[in-house]
Amino acid sequence: MSRKSGGVVRLGDTGSASSAALRLALGDDWLAPWLHAHNKLRDAGYGDALCRAYGAASVDCAPLVGAETVIGMADVLSSLSIKSGVAAAEQLCRIAPLAARRTADASRFRSWLSLLQRFSAIAPESAMCVLDRMDDLLVRLNVSQLELWLLAGVRQAGVDPERRLQFFSLENPDALRLLDREAEGQSFFDMERRLMAWMVALYGVHLNVQPAPLARHDGAGRRASFGEGFVQMPAHFPGYRRVQAEALFRAALAHVGAHVRFTRKRLEVGDLKPLQIAVVSLIEDARVEQLAMREMPGLRRLWLQFHIAEASGALTAQSRFARLSRSLIDPDFQDADGWVRKGRDLFFAARDRWDSPEISRAIGNLLGNDLGQLRIQFNAKSYVVQPPYRDDNLGLWDFDTDQNPPQDQTEILLDSARVRPDDTPDTHDQARNDPPDASDITKARPRAPDHQDCGIFAGRYPEYDYEVRIERPDWATVVEYPANRGRADFVDASRERHQRLIRKITAVINAARVSRAERERRQTEGELLDLDACIDAIAALRSGQMPDAAVYQTTARRRRDLAVSVLVDISASTADPVGEDGERVLDLLRDSTVVLSHALNTLGDPFSLAAFNSNGRDDVRYTRIKDFDQPFDKAAGMALAGLNAGFSTRFGAALRHAGQGLLTQPNHRRLVLLVTDGEPADIDCPDPRYLIEDARRAVQGLAARGIDVFCVGLGNANMENERRIFGQRGYVQITSIRALPEKLSTIYMRLTG
Amino acid sequence: MDMHQYQLTKEPYYRPIGREVDLFTASYAARLPVMLKGPTGCGKTRFIEHMAWKLGRPLVTISCHEDMTASDLVGRYLLDPTGTVWSDGPLTVAARHGAICYLDEIVEARQDTTVVIHALTDDRRILPLEKKGELVRAHPDFQLVISYNPGYQSVLKDLKESTKQRFCALDFGYPDAAIEAEIVAAEAQIPVAVAHTLVQIAKKSRNLQGQGLNEGASTRMMINAGHLIREGVTLGEACNLALIVPITDDPDMRDALTNAVAACA
Repeated sequence: MSRKSGGVVRLGDTGSASSAALRLALGDDWLAPWLHAHNKLRDAGYGDALCRAYGAASVDCAPLVGAETVIGMADVLSSLSIKSGVAAAEQLCRIAPLAARRTADASRFRSWLSLLQRFSAIAPESAMCVLDRMDDLLVRLNVSQLELWLLAGVRQAGVDPERRLQFFSLENPDALRLLDREAEGQSFFDMERRLMAWMVALYGVHLNVQPAPLARHDGAGRRASFGEGFVQMPAHFPGYRRVQAEALFRAALAHVGAHVRFTRKRLEVGDLKPLQIAVVSLIEDARVEQLAMREMPGLRRLWLQFHIAEASGALTAQSRFARLSRSLIDPDFQDADGWVRKGRDLFFAARDRWDSPEISRAIGNLLGNDLGQLRIQFNAKSYVVQPPYRDDNLGLWDFDTDQNPPQDQTEILLDSARVRPDDTPDTHDQARNDPPDASDITKARPRAPDHQDCGIFAGRYPEYDYEVRIERPDWATVVEYPANRGRADFVDASRERHQRLIRKITAVINAARVSRAERERRQTEGELLDLDACIDAIAALRSGQMPDAAVYQTTARRRRDLAVSVLVDISASTADPVGEDGERVLDLLRDSTVVLSHALNTLGDPFSLAAFNSNGRDDVRYTRIKDFDQPFDKAAGMALAGLNAGFSTRFGAALRHAGQGLLTQPNHRRLVLLVTDGEPADIDCPDPRYLIEDARRAVQGLAARGIDVFCVGLGNANMENERRIFGQRGYVQITSIRALPEKLSTIYMRLTG
Repeated sequence: MDMHQYQLTKEPYYRPIGREVDLFTASYAARLPVMLKGPTGCGKTRFIEHMAWKLGRPLVTISCHEDMTASDLVGRYLLDPTGTVWSDGPLTVAARHGAICYLDEIVEARQDTTVVIHALTDDRRILPLEKKGELVRAHPDFQLVISYNPGYQSVLKDLKESTKQRFCALDFGYPDAAIEAEIVAAEAQIPVAVAHTLVQIAKKSRNLQGQGLNEGASTRMMINAGHLIREGVTLGEACNLALIVPITDDPDMRDALTNAVAACA
């Protein structure tokens, strides 16, 4: 409550900000307008907490950005409260001082406020989580970069608030990637494709590169790392930008490639001390680099630029290592230090034996002992491999020994530098993806759901009763369940597994591409004359016969115009194992879907992906993985990875529902592609024929509306029923389930010409 | 018919890698049809030219393509002022006059076209010209040779089994580095050391086959690069001109290849 008396404004209760503090911060002239703004907030009913927070924020921010700006903030708080809730507005107040410091400038701060205001209008549900992370975001991004990133997220996630939340809470790895890109401009993954192609060219090996998790000591400690079947690369090396960064990535990759090629076996730690481990690793680094340079001399130039050690200065362990490393690669580098010279002489004396990995251990041991005798301090905890392009050497060593390693030393080494292979960002709860106990294999069974079940009613469809030959309207209810989010790297891993197949399919599709014009000869109409047909016609004329009037030829371009809805059966039987190694039908189904999606993307056919199962006619469960207007992106991949097998298989309703989705597609041909391992069955249908007949009816119904249905059946199920439902040419049986990834895509392509 | 135009007068340079010269000579002696299998630019055409020269036979070469019809191979009626006149196609010419007929990249042609050769490739050695009403019996010196690039195998484009099984086949590939360097050095007339680097680069590009490139650099491309180097172009530029720019338009692939060249130089 303020009262004006005379020319003096008296401040009433403005919460934690004392009136004196406010006066000091705002200045006398601005007090009244500020109060006005404050009271508007109060009167709008947003609550005392917000008013108090506003007061506190004003006190902190006004010295940095000026009173006028602070007054303007009230408006933003108001819109934010309306769109995203009062909690978000309070959070904004809490971080405003920090933002004011980071933006350091009144107009930038205002831009920041306005950006948040706009953002909350577009993506109200995500404002809170963006504000929660604002501190980290502003460390890395300036306001315009922040704007670009927010916009990218909105564009990427579209109108779906769930997806937006996923993005802005940084659960979606694309979000991180885009963040990196905005922040540093050039992350490894921007250049990944051409760098990895270069690696394939150089070493003939396709490496599986993952982003390195942020090491415990960030910043200068980041290094590439490799292990059994994987390579981790930091998204960027701090302090390196643009061209330098690219050279560093190249050098790092080439170095790892040299290890992969020439470090055949891991070395046993035995009872080596950390110092010795470090020296042996250093020699091994030099050895593999020399072998690589024999074949590719240009790599020397690439690596040499990062060896900047000088032959002078303090003789610490770290500096000795750097100088030794340089001596081993730089033929022009002279170093007077005894230890460095000894190392160099030993290394080059063994030139003829560089092929054998034992020399690293032999030479490394000797040198390590020497250093030990010189009583050189070596702090394993803070040791970082230099130069920065070299890997952290963890991939060289076999730490899983039966002997008990000296606890303290090895642990220190491990502790300081270990990067666990499974510490990738975005590992979700593994338990969610484990299938339910599949020991009870019956065709249809009810099961209490073991996770949150929150489906949305999506439609009621009729069902056909063959015995009385009527279609019961609104008999089956389709319920759409949100997809569980599985592992974010599932799709990439799947693509790795089926690399060759994917390449082959791409090659086939490209070979059959639309752009080729096909000549159609002997047409009754066309732009050109078909010479052979003309000659035949003249010959016929001359011999007194009627000539064939089809003497033209045309060129036609083959165009594809079809949309497909892929429907995958995830009933309980898909949890059955295939073969010995724990792979289930569901896993193969998932992989096949990944491969098929790739084919569909390459072909350019619009497609949707969904999975279905059923728990009685009132709960035909439909899970959307990807809709027509969405790309097959990480979110779709995670939805695919999160599928769980269970329940039963009610074809009819699922087909009808999928068909419904296709009706809105404008394409000439529309297809539902059903992938199933069994026949229709459900817990409330004791008569097996009932659902079979209904499915057949559903297929006919869709055909009448111009939607084709094709079924890919897995395993040795009875083909009779399939034939009944889909027609003689409407299905295909795949007995070898393992071949599904390949067969599915080939079938699709043959099917659709 | 003047077959002189098909005769090779100068010895085409060919560096044998295995026993292919002897094996082909034996196949020709038995007039067996032969299939030369291998990637593009590795010496198949040069080999058959060499053999034709060695055996003293005229060589009729047909480059196959998708629009080729049977008429393009066997012949057709043409119109002239008096009416229609039959004109022999190259396959018929070879069959009549005892030349070696070489169908290059036969998999490019459609399968309904290639069946025309079936009757010529078994012991009947006949070529029916239905439209003319003539049955051509192949000259005793006639032989059919085809080239086939297995890298283009796909669901959609492949030789029919019935066609493949009529032929004896010789495998051609990129030779060992030392031999390939010898060939490049001889053809481009550059020092063997330089040729060696070029061959290394070619090998790196071949690693990318199927992983961004359809095929790696062929020996022919390396020879072209060698010519450029002899004319004073630097190694990097020569590789760019002769290898990187023709082989791909993808900027990432070009970048990868450029840097692979840098790594090998």
